[in-house]
This record gives sequence, structure tokens and C-alpha cells, in this order.
Amino acid sequence: MSEVPMMDAAGREAEVTSKRDWVPINLDLRDTWFPVAYSADIGQGAVRRIVHAQDVYLWRDGGRLYAAEFRPDRLEAMRAGASAFTNGSGFYPAVERYGYIWAWYGNPDNAHEELIPNIPFLPPDGQGIPRYTQRAVRFDAASPLSVENLIDLTHADFLHANAIGDGQSENDVVEVHSTSETVTRIRNVTRKSVAPVMRWIGGVRAQYQDLRAVLHVHLRNNVCISYPNFTPGYPIPNVQPFVPVGKHRSRVDQTNYTVHAPAPFRWLMPRISYVIQPQDNSVLRPQNARYFESTERRDLSSRFDGPGNRYRLLMVRLAERQQRGDFGYGADADPSADISAVLGMRG
Amino acid sequence: MGRWWVVALSEAVHGDKALAVTCEGEQLAVFRDGKGAVFALEDRCPHRRVPLSPGPVKAGGLQCPYHGWTFDGATGLCNDIPNLRRDERVPARYAARAFPAAEANGFIHVWRGAGTPAAELPGASYRAADREQTGSAVANIAFEQYLDVMLDGPECLLSFPGVHITDFFLGDPRRDGEHLVLDRGAVWKGKGNGPAFVRDHSLWVRTRVPVTGGDIRVELLSADEDPLVTIFIAASENRRGTTSLVWRGFRHATAAPLSWRWRMARAIGRAPFAIFPHIDGAAVAALEVAPSRDRRLAKTDARTPAERVVPVQERCAV
Repeated sequence: MSEVPMMDAAGREAEVTSKRDWVPINLDLRDTWFPVAYSADIGQGAVRRIVHAQDVYLWRDGGRLYAAEFRPDRLEAMRAGASAFTNGSGFYPAVERYGYIWAWYGNPDNAHEELIPNIPFLPPDGQGIPRYTQRAVRFDAASPLSVENLIDLTHADFLHANAIGDGQSENDVVEVHSTSETVTRIRNVTRKSVAPVMRWIGGVRAQYQDLRAVLHVHLRNNVCISYPNFTPGYPIPNVQPFVPVGKHRSRVDQTNYTVHAPAPFRWLMPRISYVIQPQDNSVLRPQNARYFESTERRDLSSRFDGPGNRYRLLMVRLAERQQRGDFGYGADADPSADISAVLGMRG
Repeated sequence: MGRWWVVALSEAVHGDKALAVTCEGEQLAVFRDGKGAVFALEDRCPHRRVPLSPGPVKAGGLQCPYHGWTFDGATGLCNDIPNLRRDERVPARYAARAFPAAEANGFIHVWRGAGTPAAELPGASYRAADREQTGSAVANIAFEQYLDVMLDGPECLLSFPGVHITDFFLGDPRRDGEHLVLDRGAVWKGKGNGPAFVRDHSLWVRTRVPVTGGDIRVELLSADEDPLVTIFIAASENRRGTTSLVWRGFRHATAAPLSWRWRMARAIGRAPFAIFPHIDGAAVAALEVAPSRDRRLAKTDARTPAERVVPVQERCAV
């Protein structure tokens, strides 16, 4: 049997990225909104969150939301040390939408609300989002590696087979689309084994089901919007914003919007992250340490790495553009555009 | 030129799981195939750099736990990427780093470095003649210091029950091939006037320490140099200034006069020696650099002539 090239587009993109090593740890993309906290988590007491190793203190006072570089009790004393991220005011631009508090990371003059990603399955005002859909998890890797882990299709068959399924299917086709600011991965699987979690508590008694899973990734802020739709079954729309805490860790305030799924699945499924997260961290922790410095040894890729390699390529391009001082959004980028059709949402 | 290193006890590598070890600061995954042959791969998948050692051993080799790529133990070649079509082949250049591995006398060896693996294995010099005491640990001391302390003050690194190891060296270290051998006096505890006043030592502790490499041999000898205990300790550099240790040792049957404590310990089956994984920093720091000077000098002499060029000022300063 002759050897058939295993890599097509993925291979070509891997070649492009392999000219230099992929060193994602230091990517620090600016002029973007980060969903730094659930709105419901912030009250009068100040809460500290961190974006790219930079403090963001959140609190409410008199019904008004504050996002600042310093704790409220130190704000006046330290305001003189405020950075360009707040134009020296000490306060970041902050907006509440989809049940999150979004803080601007970059030049405050460029903070426009229409740059907040559209999440079509969540109510924009955040009203009515049940708390059971919200789970904060932490990953032991920088955000780009954590996002690669999510984009990656095949690792789930090995790391998460006990919860998500063994990856056995009749047909498994992957498409990748992208803009200068987003990567969209669409996976169409025919007759896959029903995921154990859906069989045990999700009311799906069939042996097989079809899956159309769309993952839409915003590059600057690592906001990953996912719409996996199971037939028979139901969609499990979710948002996973990988907020870059620093070079070693990322925080994800997930919203698994299972409100339309049957009980008890809708309550229990969001908690599956507590099973999956340690499994991911078992590989991410040592992996992250091996991406700190450029090496002559390039990563090998299969065609299944196509979406991940596209992600690497676009992240590098965006970083290079920002290094040249260009922080603007390209003509093909409109974060607030309705992505219902992209996600393949019904109705 | 490369060398063989002992990285594990034979019995520690079994079944369908790999053993993660560190040798010369490099992480390795050691495993056996279905026939019991032993293999060593770099503990790093060339696909996405995660450790291979947590993965299962399959018929084709060691499978990465992240995406299921499988690597042949002998060559390192990737022979399976899950979900490829039947007409697709894994590119021939796809491989993990593989290291020659060999087994002898209860030790698993890995060849690291350039050159053809030598025929002689360090562990081949050890033959157990009685029931063994074995173990492994990561000691909180740097590798080179471990070797030096084994010459300057082995009592900081190990003990024999009921035996006081003195710091009275018998002469200077003697070169024996790639090793330095040094004897020191020892006495039975609770017998006689104590080590400072003993006329002749009733015991000897002989340490055989490599100039380069990590195979150490320690023997407790009677006054007549009959072996009472033999220990083979394999050391190698671990990460962050620590040292990997693997050891096997045993008590010899002997007609030499023994202390009642020794006989009691033997009667109740107590181990004839202890290797310390936790090392007393104050005790090590208090040791004078003594016989280990010879090891450092020998190590310098072992370098290539180009490495041994002495700066002019240094030569003139003598």
C-alpha cells in the first residue's frame, strides 16, 4: 500500500507555523473584552481577578459596578501608579452582558461595546441564567494551550472516554473556517456511541447518535462559544472563556446552558467539568512547562490537528500585527455579529 | 561518548504501565513489551509534548495518553495514530526519542549519549548471594555532591544498624579503573571504648565511587575484610538539584565475629542497611572536602585535552 499524505491543509499550516516554534506562553493580545467574572459573583465586597498577570478588582457601590487596578480602600493612595490600561484613572472600562462582567484589556480609548462577542443562546441582560449552569474551573496552562486543548478533537477519546465517549463512529468529518479574529471548527459525526453521561442521566436510550459540534473561538480573549447538537438528544450550548491569569494558569467561568435539557441532566451536566478538568490538567501541567522556550524540535501533526494548527497560525499572525502597533480589528472581524447561523442553532 | 545508567529496579517495571524515571536530568518512560523485553523512550510525545509514561503499553509500543499516538519501544517510531483511514500511513520520520535499554542482575539500564552501547553493564558487577534488600528514592542532594559525600562522609547517606562509621580514612582513594575506592574504619556501637579510643577498627566500610557515571558500591567488611554487607547504589541526576537512587543489597553469611545487636537484627529479619532519601543538610555542610578532591581531580583529568587547557595566568600563578 502506498503512503497517502496524512496531512492536507493541516499539514500545510503546520509547515507554516513550524518555520518558527510555537511559543504560546507569551502571547499577550490586547484591545479586547475579557469576561472576568459572573455578574452574580460580584457584590459590595471587592473581588480580585487577574488578566495577563494584571489585577482587576471588581465591586459594586450604590448599584454601580467598578473594575479597578487597585482595591477600593487603596485606590486613592495608589491612583498615581495607575497604568495606561486605565488611562491613569485606575478604572477599567467594564460592561455587564450575558451574565458576565466584561473588563477591557488594552487602550481604554478603543473600548467599544460592539467588540463584545455575540453569544446567541444567552440572554444579553443576563437575566434568568440559572446558577447551576455556571461553574468556574481552572486550568494549569496558559490560555492558548488551554484553548488548543478545547479545539483538539481527538484527545477526548483518550482522556475523557469515561465521561464523553470513546470516539467510535461511522463517520467523522471536520471543517475549519476562520477570520482574522476567529476560528470556527465544525465537527459532523455520524452514528457515534452515545456519551455515557447522556445515557446515564440524559434520557437518551439509543445506542448511537449523530453530533454536529460547532466551536467558535475568539482569538484575542480566548472566548470559546460551543454548540454541540446531539440527535437523538438536544444541544448543550456552552461558553468557555479562558481568561489568561498568567503564563502558567487560566481561569474559565463556564456557562453550560443546559436549561433546555431534561432533568437531572441539566443540573448535573455542568458539574462534569469537575471530572474533566483534572483529566485535562494532568496533561496540560507538564505540557505547559514544555512550551516556554523555543526549541528546534517542531511538534508533529496529523490531519486531525488542522483546527489547532489554524489556531496557532492565526494567533501568531495577530500577535505579529499587534507587535507592529496595529491593534485594530480587520474588515472581516465583527465580534458582535449574530453567530446563530454559524453555530447551527435550531429555530 | 555515552554510558549505561541504571534507572530502575527490574521488578519496578511490569505489566501494561510504564515507569517514569529521570536520568541525567532527562525524563524517560521505561516499559516492557509482552515478552518482557525492556524499552526506554523520552517521556515526551513529539506530537504535543505531554509525558508518555502515564499512557498504556499496547502491542505496538507505548501509547500517548493524550491522543493515542503509539511509539515502538526499540526504534521510537510512531506506528499508530488513531482514526487514520486505512489507506493512510504515518510518516516514516514521526518518532519519539528511543534509548537502548538492557537488564542485568535486577537492574534496568539505559544507554545515554553517543556511540555504540558498551557490552558491559554497570549492574553486571553485582551478584546477590542472599536475600536482598532493595529500594529507590529521590534524595534531596545534587548528584555530584552525592558522589562526593559518599567519599567524604557516607554516614550522611546510609547506615548499618549497630555500626558507627568513622571518618578515619585508610589512606587515600585508590583508582580502580573508572572508580575511586576508599576504606574507612567502623566500630560496633556499644562495644569497647568508642571509635576515638579503639586501637584497631573492628569493621571497615569500603566505598567504590565512580569518577563519571553513577554506579556506587558500598561494603561493610569485617576486620579481616570478610564482606558482611554489599550494597549496589545507582545514582543519577534528577531535576532541581536532586538525585535519583536505586539500590539492591544483601547480608553475607559469615563466620566473622559479630556484635549481639547485629546478630539480633539478623535474627528478627531487620534490614542490614538503610539508604537515606532525606539527607541531613547540616551534616553534609559540616563535612570537609577530603577524599572527594581526588574524584574532582580525576574527573578533570578525564576531560578531553582541549578541555584541559589551563589558562596562562593560572599556570603562572603557581
